[in-house]
Amino acid sequence: MRKIAVLYGGNSHQFRTLYEPKYHRYLHQIIYLPELPFTSLDDIDVLLIPSQLHQRLVSESQHIIDSFTDRGGVVAAFGAQPNNWIPGHNWEFRPTNFWWWLDSNVRSGLVTERLDHDFFCYLTLKDATWHYHGVFYPPSGAEILIGLEGGGAILYVDKVTTAGTLIMTTLDPEFHYGSYFMPATERFLDKFLPWLAEGEL
Amino acid sequence: MTMTSSGTPHFVIVDSGNYFSTQTIQETKKRDDCFVIDMYDLPERDLSPYACMVIDNFVDQELLYQEREQIWQFLNQGKVLIFSGHMFLPWLPGASMFVPKLIRSQHDYEVSIVQQHPIFDGVDPEEMTYTKGVSGFFARGHHPLPSQAEVLLSLPGGEPITYIDRYSTQGTILVHSGNNLFAYSGQGSTVGRIGSQLQNWTREEYRAIQERTRTL
Repeated sequence: MRKIAVLYGGNSHQFRTLYEPKYHRYLHQIIYLPELPFTSLDDIDVLLIPSQLHQRLVSESQHIIDSFTDRGGVVAAFGAQPNNWIPGHNWEFRPTNFWWWLDSNVRSGLVTERLDHDFFCYLTLKDATWHYHGVFYPPSGAEILIGLEGGGAILYVDKVTTAGTLIMTTLDPEFHYGSYFMPATERFLDKFLPWLAEGEL
Repeated sequence: MTMTSSGTPHFVIVDSGNYFSTQTIQETKKRDDCFVIDMYDLPERDLSPYACMVIDNFVDQELLYQEREQIWQFLNQGKVLIFSGHMFLPWLPGASMFVPKLIRSQHDYEVSIVQQHPIFDGVDPEEMTYTKGVSGFFARGHHPLPSQAEVLLSLPGGEPITYIDRYSTQGTILVHSGNNLFAYSGQGSTVGRIGSQLQNWTREEYRAIQERTRTL
């Protein structure tokens, strides 16, 4: 099992998600964000960066994230990426449609052409289907596992931009699960963390 | 009426520094009655000039727990503190930890006004409960009450969503188990009245505390 470290901003939704036993068992280390500059990532395989962290504090630790990918580490990030902490994502904001499932055609717009990827041995497209806060336009060579009809990526794996592996999704399941808001996001976490820990990335 | 008697902004807004709060914080910075501070500057900041501290649901509660003595002192200077969110550490006097609501249907999220109050004057409970026909945005649980707290809103099982506590400290604490109550604004729905009515109530509450303290 890969050793996953996760950044923790001390907020209530991250507290609930990261200390939930069924998720906590996959987390080798929970790093309180203000302590990141004083924490070694030497024995860590995966750095998980949840959404809604204090932006200045993460920016001040940019060099730590860069060093981690430089030595081949895996960075997985949830949610909107208005900053360039992780290179190459080309985030584009989209207004959130919380009500997509009420529309007459009941289509989320999420698509995949990579059902052969090991990711889909763990998750289905339905497990990743709820609203999103924006899209990515990753570089060529990145594998888009979940895309949008009409272009853009909701979840991709990028092994070309850095010496490491970047797993980026605009979805923010840890926020919703931790806020008791949209229990459907629990299905994603139940399966994503085992893939991140043991699956073929 | 936007300043305290000492001429400083009335509200000190604690900036949680996260993406979802960005827009609210930028709007708040334009106001002369609000002073925004980064939450990690709290330990160094003299809070005595401000009448009311506003804390949102993205705040670092580990930090607030470390700074609980400062928060307690602020309140005991006869100030107001507004917290919106889910408490999971005991940093606020009298407050208990958040209890999520067991949801069986979307009606379990229905908001009731327990007693008429200036903060929710003219606000339609239906509009607090439902956004485009979907419930669950407003509040999804509660904090058990401190003794003698005044309940403003509740969920169908009587769980208090919003309460005012004037007894745990020399000041007044308002706890709301949902999104940032201070940030509700806009013309599209009666819910948009909440932010400004909360701010007006806070000014009155602060004045009442100061008068009460003076007469002691």
